[in-house]
Amino acid sequence: MSTDSDTQSEADAREQLIDLAAEFYDQFAGGEVPTMSLPTRTKSNIEYDEDMDVWVYGDRESTRSAKTVSGAQKLLKATYVIEFLAQQLEEDRSSTLRELYYLSESFDHEEAQFTSQDESNQLIEDLEIVSDVRREEFHMRPEESGATVMGPLLIREQTRRGEREIHCQEDVGEGGYQIPNNPDTIEFLDNDADFALCVETGGMRDRLVENGFDEQHNCIVVHLKGQPARATRRLTKRLHDELGLPVTVFTDGDPWSYRIYGSVAYGSIKSAHLSEYLATPDAQFIGIQPADIVEYDLPTDPLSDSDVNALESELEDPRFMTDYWEEQIELQLDIEKKAEQQSLAARGLDFVTDTYLPERLTEMNVI
Amino acid sequence: MTSYQSTLAEEEGIAEELAEAQRSISIAEFFEKNRQMLGFDSGARALVTAVKEAVDNALDATEESGILPDIYVEIQENDDYYRLIVEDNGPGITKEQIPKIFGKLLYGSRFHAREQNRGQQGIGISAAVLYAQLTSGKPAKITSRTKGSADAKYFELTIDTDSNEPEIEGEDTTSWDRPHGTRIELEMEANMRARTQLHDYVKHTAVVNPHARLELREPQDQFKFERATDQLPEETEEIRPHPHGVELGTLQKMLDATDSYSVSGFLQGEFTRVGGKTAQKVIDNFRDRHFGREMAWNAPAAHEEADVEAAVSEAVANKGAEATAEFAESVATAVADASAVTHSQIQGIAETAAENVADAYDTTFGSTVRQKAVEAAWEVVTDERTADVYALVNEATTDRKDDAHVQGLAERVAAKFEDDEHSHDRLTHDQVDDYVDRAADATEEYDGATFGETAREKVLDAVWERMATVPDEPPNIGAIDDDRDTASELHEAMREADIIAPPTDCLSPISDELVLAGLQKEFDADFYAASTRDASVHGGDPFIVEAGIAYGGDMEEGSSAEVMRFANRVPLVYQRGACSITDVVKRINWRNYKLDQPGGSGIPNGPAVIMVHVASTNVPFTSESKDAVANVPEIEDEVERVIREAARDLKSYLKKRRSMEKRRRKQDKLATILPAMAEKLEEVTGEGELHIDDSLARIMNNVLVDRERDGETVRLIVENNDDTDVSLELTDIVSEDPGEVEDASVVEMDGEYFVKWTTTVTAGQEASIEYSVDGDATFDVQVEGIEDEKLSINA
Repeated sequence: MSTDSDTQSEADAREQLIDLAAEFYDQFAGGEVPTMSLPTRTKSNIEYDEDMDVWVYGDRESTRSAKTVSGAQKLLKATYVIEFLAQQLEEDRSSTLRELYYLSESFDHEEAQFTSQDESNQLIEDLEIVSDVRREEFHMRPEESGATVMGPLLIREQTRRGEREIHCQEDVGEGGYQIPNNPDTIEFLDNDADFALCVETGGMRDRLVENGFDEQHNCIVVHLKGQPARATRRLTKRLHDELGLPVTVFTDGDPWSYRIYGSVAYGSIKSAHLSEYLATPDAQFIGIQPADIVEYDLPTDPLSDSDVNALESELEDPRFMTDYWEEQIELQLDIEKKAEQQSLAARGLDFVTDTYLPERLTEMNVI
Repeated sequence: MTSYQSTLAEEEGIAEELAEAQRSISIAEFFEKNRQMLGFDSGARALVTAVKEAVDNALDATEESGILPDIYVEIQENDDYYRLIVEDNGPGITKEQIPKIFGKLLYGSRFHAREQNRGQQGIGISAAVLYAQLTSGKPAKITSRTKGSADAKYFELTIDTDSNEPEIEGEDTTSWDRPHGTRIELEMEANMRARTQLHDYVKHTAVVNPHARLELREPQDQFKFERATDQLPEETEEIRPHPHGVELGTLQKMLDATDSYSVSGFLQGEFTRVGGKTAQKVIDNFRDRHFGREMAWNAPAAHEEADVEAAVSEAVANKGAEATAEFAESVATAVADASAVTHSQIQGIAETAAENVADAYDTTFGSTVRQKAVEAAWEVVTDERTADVYALVNEATTDRKDDAHVQGLAERVAAKFEDDEHSHDRLTHDQVDDYVDRAADATEEYDGATFGETAREKVLDAVWERMATVPDEPPNIGAIDDDRDTASELHEAMREADIIAPPTDCLSPISDELVLAGLQKEFDADFYAASTRDASVHGGDPFIVEAGIAYGGDMEEGSSAEVMRFANRVPLVYQRGACSITDVVKRINWRNYKLDQPGGSGIPNGPAVIMVHVASTNVPFTSESKDAVANVPEIEDEVERVIREAARDLKSYLKKRRSMEKRRRKQDKLATILPAMAEKLEEVTGEGELHIDDSLARIMNNVLVDRERDGETVRLIVENNDDTDVSLELTDIVSEDPGEVEDASVVEMDGEYFVKWTTTVTAGQEASIEYSVDGDATFDVQVEGIEDEKLSINA
């Protein structure tokens, strides 16, 4: 990415924000009630976009209107944040979401200050949606997620200190290559990979690396670190789209982990406006499947009430309305058990790399 | 016509009875023993009672003469004693009137008229005089000036504790600045510890007497209560007592005092709602009680052996065969015609027959002959009593009763009648009851039957129903007056008769209008409500209840509401907890009316005053001290209704006030948020200054008044953002002449032009007027008809 286009997109982003402010301005000037409309961000308002092959927001909208005190507060906050972002872009600086939250403490109007970080995060998402600009383009960064990549991949990263070429197996330590906040600053140069394997937990990632799974199977191991950050999902999507690598996801066998797969494959509900940019619809789920729990007779924990609720809620989630997921979720509700990735160690430390993964990946026609 | 009335709750009645037993002791001793009852049980209370008596007296004196009361109360500390001075602007009193006004205490023969008056409340000013005299040894000093007289008279008055008569000691002529009125000065042992009650009494008096001007001066303080209306309370009509409303004692006094000879005359003359018919009903009841009734028996049927005609015929001697036959037949026919006859009725039949036959045959049937004939007929009629009783018992008891048992009871009851040969079957209700009871007991014992309470009562009722009132003349008034039991029979007879409720126009309520005026005068509140109910009746006494509520303003937030109780315009300041008015206030769910009520019952919290006035010809009190209204269901129900009526207005006021508060809070909040947002928007966009009033008005659904100016043309626009129509009156004060304005009127005053525009704007619409004015004109717009909270003026 060139500096030119950077400046261009920054100017665009700034333009969009000022336009939004101008819209509020005009509403006031016309004696109208200032209003901001947004798609409703719940699972009942996401729909499948056949063209893009991803889940996007539906037609339902919620309105932030100055008619109510809370609506007026939100709009006031939005106005303050717009000013802040416009200034940040003008000065070519960046800040983190957490910094924004703390920074609001310095806003001169008490009502403009955020009461929680959720609130400021949500407002940034609101602004992304109404202005059609991604937060990266506002120069808003999340906290480092620390997610990493390990595998036969040569990249060039545009850093603040110049370009770096890095091989994600040879030039990195045991920890792997850390994914930058904006993975679009990375250029793929070369690779020997056959597929990408996204792993939920750090423990399992380390096991795979220790056992040399990446070398053995020409695999790029992506550490998701729980619910994957946008950057991780973006990189995964690029591995699939640009390098044509099959993407697989390996998580624990519980409802929360299925959502991790869901957000890699279908996009998350909160950021459905970015699904097109973040989701990898072809990503395949390896496990742990409820069927594996039965088949490999894994050590388990009983489902808690919240697990059951989460599973039932997934049955109503349009993203999981496929035969495969319905079967797996029903089965899990039936056996009332869940299992962690590491439970495979019950069959020996090499079981996962020697037996489980090769078996599953073969089944899935990946290897 | 005189009417006398006293009730249990009245001092004179009780006091008289008490004193009766104590005639040998001195009046002072009696007073000492009954201080509590008289309201002088402590020095603190004595002062309040003395003020109360004197002020009530003063109010009555002025009102009776149609004078707006102007009353001055002063309390002075005087060494060991307190000096109480009460002045009024009444008609004044002459020396001759003094015994009447300071009438004999306790032995007084004064009855209370059945009238709504204050005097009903207390023992009277004489008690205060006596108390002062007993504690300080000083006489009451009275100054009085009658209208038109040049000087005032001065008296010193004591009450002779032996004779209980007022005595005038010093007498003088003096000058006084009041043109007419009375001043009484009492020196007494007292203290100011009951200051709260004293203040309550005076302030509450001011509330229910908005036509009075009151002034209270204390050693350290001074209060003035101004008049709120020039309207005197309506004079109350005195009404005669209602038969249902008198106690036995009162009835006896009335019997003693009346000029009537007959019961009928007495009833019709002394009571309200009693005419000839009602008097007859009462007298019949009275006869039944006094004489008992006579049993009526069926005449023997044709097939029976007994024969009235033959018996009468046989009993009559020496009157000629034809006359005798005619007489006997006439009696027999009349007896047979009557379905059942009593001894008295046969007597009546015989008399009629005797007269008729005597006329026809020119012979006399003397009383001896008639008596023989009556006895003969009576013997025949009563020859067979069992069948009659059987029919009554059979009808009165259920079908499931064994016939043998019915027969058994009938035989035994009939036998009781037979046993008593000389009574002609005349029995009181109690005697019949006794017959039935004994007969039933015997039947249970010997026949193994069961006759429970209900069955016995039914039989008794059936028999009593069959029995007839006797034609005897009831005792005259003198006889009744002489015998307490007879008087009691009359009292019961009156109670039992159905009599329409007493008239209610004898009451003088304060009226909701003046309740409001009184509250507004004494409480600086935000809201007032009042309600007056129609008259109702308890016992024989009509009553009216009224309620008023004041809320908010200067009243104290957070503490319990103040409850003010009044009876016949007199404040009740003691025994709050014992009063049924308080009970009613406590049991109402005030949360329904948007007042805070911890625990959902009890006196509500909040800056509120709740007043209740009970006006009646006889307010029932819990005790002789007359501090609390007794729990009479009829009165409690009315009190509850009237409070709820006033509280409903309070509720809608509080509801509106709360919604306005909410709206104000929202508006205040938005008024800080939106300007900040507008300012930020100006900075970010770099555009000019923003006016957000229009947006704010729209958000608040407010009515927005806007001014547009284009050179000389001025346009005033009213935009209604609410969802209901609004009517408003807009006045634009313009410094230059706007000329004629369409739809509006223009008035010039002191060089300013008042453009007045009255319009109704439908929901969501706008309306406007337009006029031309010189460029330098200034404007000032005012809008009436809309709450401030709902109005945005941007002009």
